[in-house]
Amino acid sequence: MARKKLRPRLIAELARRVRALREQRERPRDSQRYALDYGTLTRPHSGRRLPARAWADVRRESSLLQLLSRLPLFGLGRLVTRKSWLWQHDEPCYWRLTRVRPDYTAQNLEHGKAWGILTFKGHTESEAREIAQVMHHDWRLVPKHEEAAFTAVTPAPPEDAQCRVPYPPLLRAMILAERRKSGDTSTEEPMLNLERTREHPWDYPAKQEAKKRAKAAAV
Amino acid sequence: MAAPIARRWFLLARRVSLPPISLAGKRCLLSAAYVDSHKWEAREKEHCHLADLASLMDKTYERKLPVSSLTISRFVDNISSREEIDHAEYYLYKFRHSPNCWYLRDWTIHTWIRQCLKYGAQDKALYTLVNKVQYGIFPDNFTFNLLMDSFITKENYKDALSVVFEIMLQEAFEVPSTQLLSLYVLYHCLAKKTDFSWEEERNFGASLLLPGLKQKNSVGLSSQLYGYALLGKVELQRGLRAVYHNMPLLWQPGYLNRALQVMEKVASSPEDGKLCAEALDVLDRALKAVTAPACGSSEAQPQEEDSQGSEELVEQLDVEETEQSKLPQYLERFKDLHSKLEALGKVESESPLTLTIQLVKEQLPTFEAEDIATYEQKLQQWHLERVHLIQREQEQREKAKQEHEARRAAKASA
Repeated sequence: MARKKLRPRLIAELARRVRALREQRERPRDSQRYALDYGTLTRPHSGRRLPARAWADVRRESSLLQLLSRLPLFGLGRLVTRKSWLWQHDEPCYWRLTRVRPDYTAQNLEHGKAWGILTFKGHTESEAREIAQVMHHDWRLVPKHEEAAFTAVTPAPPEDAQCRVPYPPLLRAMILAERRKSGDTSTEEPMLNLERTREHPWDYPAKQEAKKRAKAAAV
Repeated sequence: MAAPIARRWFLLARRVSLPPISLAGKRCLLSAAYVDSHKWEAREKEHCHLADLASLMDKTYERKLPVSSLTISRFVDNISSREEIDHAEYYLYKFRHSPNCWYLRDWTIHTWIRQCLKYGAQDKALYTLVNKVQYGIFPDNFTFNLLMDSFITKENYKDALSVVFEIMLQEAFEVPSTQLLSLYVLYHCLAKKTDFSWEEERNFGASLLLPGLKQKNSVGLSSQLYGYALLGKVELQRGLRAVYHNMPLLWQPGYLNRALQVMEKVASSPEDGKLCAEALDVLDRALKAVTAPACGSSEAQPQEEDSQGSEELVEQLDVEETEQSKLPQYLERFKDLHSKLEALGKVESESPLTLTIQLVKEQLPTFEAEDIATYEQKLQQWHLERVHLIQREQEQREKAKQEHEARRAAKASA
């Protein structure tokens, strides 16, 4: 049975657009979303209390923009680390700041976003990306006179040569039969690669852009 | 009103600067050529009416549009009286809390400090500097030197000390003239007063350490030792977090250890560096102060700061021996190194203040000349940047006008 053609609901469409615009204009800024009551350790915006494991850190450490608001040019080019990385890993892990955008509605300019180049456990990435978990009270600034000592990496011991072993006989026969069937005439011995796939440790900073896209797609 | 003040200032600086350290009490470290503001006054500035700029800025803020850095720099350029300094402070605060806060220009900050000094508002300059988070005032070395010198000339060592602490927090000890001036102020204040609260000790320690690391002579080495001694004392009395929180210092424990390493380096190095007896004395007193009432204070403190004590334990879980247990070793090492240094003749009997004054007399003129040359280059650079910005603003205005005209024509024809 054919559906009756819906007449275009223009006013609803207009209302939808106006609502979207108002939502965009009145979206809660970082300073409102991440404001924190240090007495009761709750976020006034959502009314939620911080997780218990964060209470000690929130009292002792500072968030990233709290450190950067005290520096000229908001600390461009400086190195920042996280206390959790200092406790967890021996190798140097830090962000080198390339771009900072503080939230100007904050009273002490202590919220905002930052971008930088990550060096995790001695391996430096090639491109700058947004710094994850900026609002966590976990950050420390590396003093300028200690930067050289902090970033010095002792080179890791060389890994053994690529370990490739021949396949077990049945699998080898299956692979060779597959090759003959698909017309592949290469005569090299099929070898199994035993190298471990490099997996990032659990506290490797995730990509913020991917997270945002996932959130937008979910909506 | 401004011109006689500037002239009086200039004459005062010139009269006093002929012997750099006059024995008659008025101390002026920087020469007249440095403090001279003629080049700065002679720069090309746009003459704008302050009321117009103020109303423009107010309108822009009401409409929630960003204010350009050119507007605020024009405002600060055209200050001509003390009241207008207060207005400018308000607009600097508003600019810092606007979307363009990152773009506050170097020349605006320099002009602001110069204007404050010109109209006798040094306390205002210091206030905005100490509250740099709210006003965004991060001066460069030349401006810091000017501000410090104005306080030193007026014998206002307390304010000069606050300026030095600000330089330490910004870690701006790159230029040798700043290092020498700040060491002079620090040693002068240390000579006057002896008992400090732990925050002051920590600030003194860090401010002595940072320039001491850059200076490669006896003054530098003694400053490093003095700084490490003070920081080690605070570390053992108040805990490591008290030392590094909100300070440009490292979070590794063992500041007294590093002080002893400085002594070892001096004892074993073939160069000429000596350590002042006063600095060694301070390290000795610090070690004794933390060993003697160690039993008493470590019991009293956990009762007051129990939560912080448990957090200290958490931080020091990985450390096998705590600093307290290493204190007897430190005392022994100190005694050995002290006798070794005396045997090698590397202990300087003069006070660090006299050494600093000597260094200032010898080396400051050369550094000043370099600084003045860099300053002139910077003035040129700022001028070019300003011209570029004005051009860009005019182009944008013309483009906006053309678009407006096009839209109006389209509306009229439709």
